[in-house]
Amino acid sequence: MTAPAPPPAVRSRRWKDRIGSPVNVVGAAAVALVLGAGVIAVAGGNPITAYADIVTGTFGSRSTITLMLGEVTPLLLIGLGLAIAFQGRVWNIGAEGQYLVGAVVGGAFAILSPVQASVVLIPAALLVGTAAGAAWGWIVGKFQAVWGVNEVISSLLLNYVAIFGVAYLVRQPLRDPDYYLPQSKLIPSAARLPDLPFLDVHAGLLIGLIFVPVVIYAMGRTPFGFKVRVLGMNRDAARAAGIDTNRLIVKVMMISGGFAGLAGIAQVLGVESRLNNNLDAGYGFTAIITALLGRMRPLGIVLSSVFIATITVGGDIVQRSQQVPRAAVFVLQALFVIVLLVADKLARR
Amino acid sequence: MSRITKRFGGLAAVDEVDFDLRKGEIHALLGENGAGKTTLMNVLSGLIQPGSGTMEVEGRPARFRSPQDAIDRGIGMVHQHFKLVSRLTVAENIILGQTGGRRLRLPDLHEVGRRVEALGERYGLEVPPGAFVWQLSVGEQQRAEILRALYRKARVLILDEPTATLTAGEVDRLLEGIRVMARQGASIIIISHNLDEIMSAADRVTVLRRGKQVATLDRDETDQAELARLMVGRDVSLVEVLTSAGERREEGGEPGDADRRVVLEVEDLVMSGESVSPAGGGARELRGVNLTVHAGEIVSIAGVEGNGQAQFEEALMGLRTPDSGAVRFSGDDMTGARPRRVLERGVGYIPSDRYRHGLVRELSVAENLVLDRIDRPPFGSPLRLRSKAITARGAELIDRFSIAVRSAAERAGTLSGGNAQRAVLARAMSEELRLCLAAQPTRGLDVGAIEFVWQQLREQRRKGVAVLLISTDLDEVMALSDRCYVMYRGRLTETPLDRDRIGLAMGGVAAESGAGVR
Repeated sequence: MTAPAPPPAVRSRRWKDRIGSPVNVVGAAAVALVLGAGVIAVAGGNPITAYADIVTGTFGSRSTITLMLGEVTPLLLIGLGLAIAFQGRVWNIGAEGQYLVGAVVGGAFAILSPVQASVVLIPAALLVGTAAGAAWGWIVGKFQAVWGVNEVISSLLLNYVAIFGVAYLVRQPLRDPDYYLPQSKLIPSAARLPDLPFLDVHAGLLIGLIFVPVVIYAMGRTPFGFKVRVLGMNRDAARAAGIDTNRLIVKVMMISGGFAGLAGIAQVLGVESRLNNNLDAGYGFTAIITALLGRMRPLGIVLSSVFIATITVGGDIVQRSQQVPRAAVFVLQALFVIVLLVADKLARR
Repeated sequence: MSRITKRFGGLAAVDEVDFDLRKGEIHALLGENGAGKTTLMNVLSGLIQPGSGTMEVEGRPARFRSPQDAIDRGIGMVHQHFKLVSRLTVAENIILGQTGGRRLRLPDLHEVGRRVEALGERYGLEVPPGAFVWQLSVGEQQRAEILRALYRKARVLILDEPTATLTAGEVDRLLEGIRVMARQGASIIIISHNLDEIMSAADRVTVLRRGKQVATLDRDETDQAELARLMVGRDVSLVEVLTSAGERREEGGEPGDADRRVVLEVEDLVMSGESVSPAGGGARELRGVNLTVHAGEIVSIAGVEGNGQAQFEEALMGLRTPDSGAVRFSGDDMTGARPRRVLERGVGYIPSDRYRHGLVRELSVAENLVLDRIDRPPFGSPLRLRSKAITARGAELIDRFSIAVRSAAERAGTLSGGNAQRAVLARAMSEELRLCLAAQPTRGLDVGAIEFVWQQLREQRRKGVAVLLISTDLDEVMALSDRCYVMYRGRLTETPLDRDRIGLAMGGVAAESGAGVR
């Protein structure tokens, strides 16, 4: 009887790498739920029934599931783009702005387009919105490549340029003169994204789900994805091996911005009826949480976007059932990320 | 200090060194990189604790657990890389670290400023106390560091490579200040490689080599040649061991004789520092480098580390863009070309920092071995990585370069130092080269790995590749080179292959005239 050879150290390390991160997520989620319970209790609710209400309330009816999937769509699309950037350690904090630019430029195109046939209009508007988001991201990448401007700062500040730019556009050039409120004309019905069969959710969700395997493949199986990963692992080695890191950063910012722009225009064509200030709903920021929670992996982001959407929709329900302010739910989202980051640091010791 | 020993891992960085410093004396500490100078001084200034040995300060035994303990006993150190906060004023920097404890109020800055001015005048080291550090030149920053130590009533001042970044005028002014301090009773230790400066300023010199104390001499009883010889050493060393094992340089008929094509030509290359204060004008890291390397020869750049070798390496590979000058590769201008272009022209790169510029620890060994051509056939087409081809090439190179690793899929981070370097070599040499740039290729390796690297470099020379070796290891330079340059303060001087001559040039004494180069 021979004892089996001990598993090589390397194997076990890889195993831990693979399994360690979901364990971290679950552990972090548990800790965050406990801390969140404290917040809910302080806000005057019963944490246990509140959590139960979030889950049963969200999954309890067709209409709330629809609401939840509606929240998933932008988070998933933006999150996928952020996953690519974050894997290359390009910290794009500007998805909110890229989303808004995509929404407004694509929406304006749909409203102003002389051709009003759905077959042409919908794909064209989606492309225009995506390109606009990509252009907004390109600015960040180019600033970094040419002058070494930190992408966190430039992408963050460009959010405000986008927010106030949109506010101006809907007040002045795009304003519907027939209305008192600052908003554009109606998005033409020919440009509306169709709903998915059996669900009251627009086709943007499907686009997002189609991109999941695409991103998995691109990051894992193409030279481009390989180079982005190397960019994230060791930027100096990437440069010394002849990878043009500056150009790569610009590309990554454009792709990341493109996804956010696509999310924006999909939201406009699928959900909104007009362009107005309500577009600024914070998805670009929430998607950062989604991407981090999903460990920057496409499948993880599917799960984390459902999770975040659930507590967002459930938060509204709890606000009504228990008079716990919605803000408590946003505290919960933040707690998840903070606890997760701490868990990562501890796991690396 | 007596019988001080400090080990890092198994290596004795400082081995049973005795050191004494007299009141009012300027004592120079001389030695190559890794000789243990800085380690010894870090012990003295409380930054690290010795493994064994004892210290006495002014007749009383001393044990320093922290730099604060050393400062309390009147010992102040001025580090080579200044430890000043650039957004604070000189006066604020000087009181920094004295504001802790239970005191809530800052000392009166005007009062501090007046005392700093008085100290500055006394030693000829004036710095405006109200100026922000970022506004100061390098020399002024150093004066601020010295004044900080003096302000804290240091009676022993340790200066680590104080002249390395200064201009000639600033050096003179600093040395004059030091002499004044010594005359007024302070004791000063200067860590330096510059033989001229040592001869002009020091009263005594202690020479260290490989952690051991070689000699302590009075300035008047020695000369530059002797110091250089002591610093560089003549002991039976690795070279003789390895070369006598049948690897002696090929006699006669060297390929270099037949084929004298110029492969690399560098002309007046100038490059400034990256992040120096605007008022300082950017320290020149390369001050006009000229060099030629022919096919089939190994040309070395010797020199003490920090004289611009790392910058030169980065400029050649296109990792940094020089301010002026030219780099020509087989006659084509490649100044400021991107790394990709440089590599495509047949340059093999063995970087001095093998983990920073060489390997990606998180990737597999095989992926690392094709890192520079991952998007080219057969390893990748735009839409696909060919993992079979990558693994096959990995296995082939692992075999050819005897990399000890379980499989090509293993992570590069698990490789030992010697095997990591074999992997770096394997990638650089897997294609036909025209130029091989090897920077510090054997640093930190054991004898077996060193021998392997040397063999590979000689093999490249035999194939007619131009090899440029940047090394701080004089044994290595002597063992491999056909020709040799010495880098000193951002300039290259061609030097005959002679230990003493190289040693002098490393200390800034020019080969021909014996005059100092600054």
